[in-house]
Amino acid sequence: MSDRMAEHIILFEDFSIGYQKEHILLSQLNLTVNRGEMIALIGKNGAGKSTLLKSMIGLVPPLGGACLLDGVPFDAYSLRERARRVSFVSSQFTQLPSLTVEELVGLGRIPYTDWMGRMSAEDHKKIDKAIEEVQMGIFAGRKLENLSDGERQRAMIARAFVQDTPLMVLDEPTAFLDVPNTFELVRLLSRFKESGRSIVYSTHDLETAIQFADKMWVIHKGRILEGAPEDLGLSGLYNELFSDSGITYDEQVGRFLGSVRERGFIAVTGEGEDLLIWTRKTAERLGYMVKEGADLKIKVASSPAGASWIVQNRNGSTRFKNLYTLARFLIQEQ
Amino acid sequence: MKVRTRSILIIYLLGLLLIALFLLDIRLGSISITLTEMADHLLGRSRLGEQQLVILTKFRLPRVATALMAGAALPVCGLQMQTIFRNPLAGPYVLGISSGASFGAALVVLGAGATGLVATWSLAVAAWVGAGTVMLLLLFVSYRIKDVMTILILGIMFSSGLAAIISIMQYFSQASALKSFVIWSMGSLGNVTGSQLNIMAWTVLPLLVVTLGFSKVLNGMMLGEEYAVTMGIRIQRTRLIIFATTSMLAGTITAFCGPIGFIGIAVPHIARFLIKRSDHMELIPASMLTGMVVMVFSDMISRLPGTERILPINAVTSLIGIPVVIWLVVMNRKAQSL
Repeated sequence: MSDRMAEHIILFEDFSIGYQKEHILLSQLNLTVNRGEMIALIGKNGAGKSTLLKSMIGLVPPLGGACLLDGVPFDAYSLRERARRVSFVSSQFTQLPSLTVEELVGLGRIPYTDWMGRMSAEDHKKIDKAIEEVQMGIFAGRKLENLSDGERQRAMIARAFVQDTPLMVLDEPTAFLDVPNTFELVRLLSRFKESGRSIVYSTHDLETAIQFADKMWVIHKGRILEGAPEDLGLSGLYNELFSDSGITYDEQVGRFLGSVRERGFIAVTGEGEDLLIWTRKTAERLGYMVKEGADLKIKVASSPAGASWIVQNRNGSTRFKNLYTLARFLIQEQ
Repeated sequence: MKVRTRSILIIYLLGLLLIALFLLDIRLGSISITLTEMADHLLGRSRLGEQQLVILTKFRLPRVATALMAGAALPVCGLQMQTIFRNPLAGPYVLGISSGASFGAALVVLGAGATGLVATWSLAVAAWVGAGTVMLLLLFVSYRIKDVMTILILGIMFSSGLAAIISIMQYFSQASALKSFVIWSMGSLGNVTGSQLNIMAWTVLPLLVVTLGFSKVLNGMMLGEEYAVTMGIRIQRTRLIIFATTSMLAGTITAFCGPIGFIGIAVPHIARFLIKRSDHMELIPASMLTGMVVMVFSDMISRLPGTERILPINAVTSLIGIPVVIWLVVMNRKAQSL
């Protein structure tokens, strides 16, 4: 038992979540969060990601089972004790008060200050450190409404960080962020593991999750599948996840493929590695599955004069100078 | 902290300004009582005349005391509502809490007939119950509807509905009761009797101390309830206490001074603008002081120095407060933020 306590920070035992008894989202969950690991929670909209995270930290009452925090049922802790163990970043992003970054982050010290909210020199040091940690040092005095989405989210994360909790729970922290900001933010979170913290976050962004998470919780068909990102990949889960929506996961490239419509198979042959890669991408974007020996063929040729493409189909062959005209041709051909 | 020095300086300056206005306000009036005369009287060097003494202790000091209490209490109500509802446009007047208090007061004043304003606890309690009822309705609605504008509109609907009921009550009431109610509804700092002042002091002053004790909790509520809970704040208890103190503060002031508009909503914003901080430990005292300064100033304006006439205080505070609210709405396009 003591071994177990050292390893797990969170242990779900037959945990069930949802809203009221008639609306059970997920039931009989048996999951663990280990110390110093980052878990990405994946699932479609409405699958229960938010509800799971909120039930886990006591914001939504669970429908059954137990959530053990450090081996003790979550409800057994006082609110203040909880606040010193678990911090939270909500997916809600609007209606923030007009605070400076420093004031916002300072709120994270609430579980530690006296009734008047007075902060010690140590508190201030921790606030400065948290702001540095999320690389917001130059923005410390800036108001939240004058920050970009990415900066504001980093400030919100610093507020959770300064709460000094062994577990951080974040509900879709990357929801409003563009690709570079998403990547940056998830990398930032994964760095927090170095101080022994555990991070659980929900996201729609499978790519960064696979890249950074130690473990994934994937909500699929009313169950949660748990495992390393690679374990789940081996099980073919990622392809299955979106099978009904015409999206596939390309295991080699590590990204999702999908297009407006399915157009059948196409063969891509020829020389030049770059040329082949980009030609395949073009075909995939249009909705073709690249397969050797297909009737429809693209031959790539490179010469000192430049690249050229020859499309062969039943009607003969046509030559193209660039991928754009090739794509236009393929679209009209159908 | 370096940032805090600004707040302390502002609070200090507001204090000095308040003392100056206070002295000016008690000096002001058709019967001349100079500050030297007052000082001499206090030091026992010479005595004020009988008439001067009566005017000072029965009229001028009570009305300034009333102004000070109203000025301190209403902005605190507004600030608490703005934080709890996370809505910069919240305030006791806008949300209909003052109307609830007015309704309670109307029941007593119009019901009591020709005796005029009732100088007992009944008026205060009726106003608390009225304010508290609107507060509970808002609390109930805000559980279901999170949208800021919807709650504001509901508050306006509540106050319009109550105003309609009050006007029906006025229609059926006796002329003398009607007259005293109409005068009451214009708002006045000068009609507060000695025993009413006592009731005010005994409710307002302790409640103001209580609200100061809730600064930290209010800070924690700024990000909304989910964050508050995860930072260890007991939100049910906090809401209840905040709502109760707001109802009682707004109720008491409304009961004895009549509805005083726009102090509750506007003053916290002036205070925020002055200290440039959002910590309630600094905002609450700054709002109280700013409110007291504005109220004493409004009182001086309402007495139209050099004339025998007195303007309704509600009109004066509205004319001061409304530009602040307009500035808030127009200049601060990100009106979602406090």
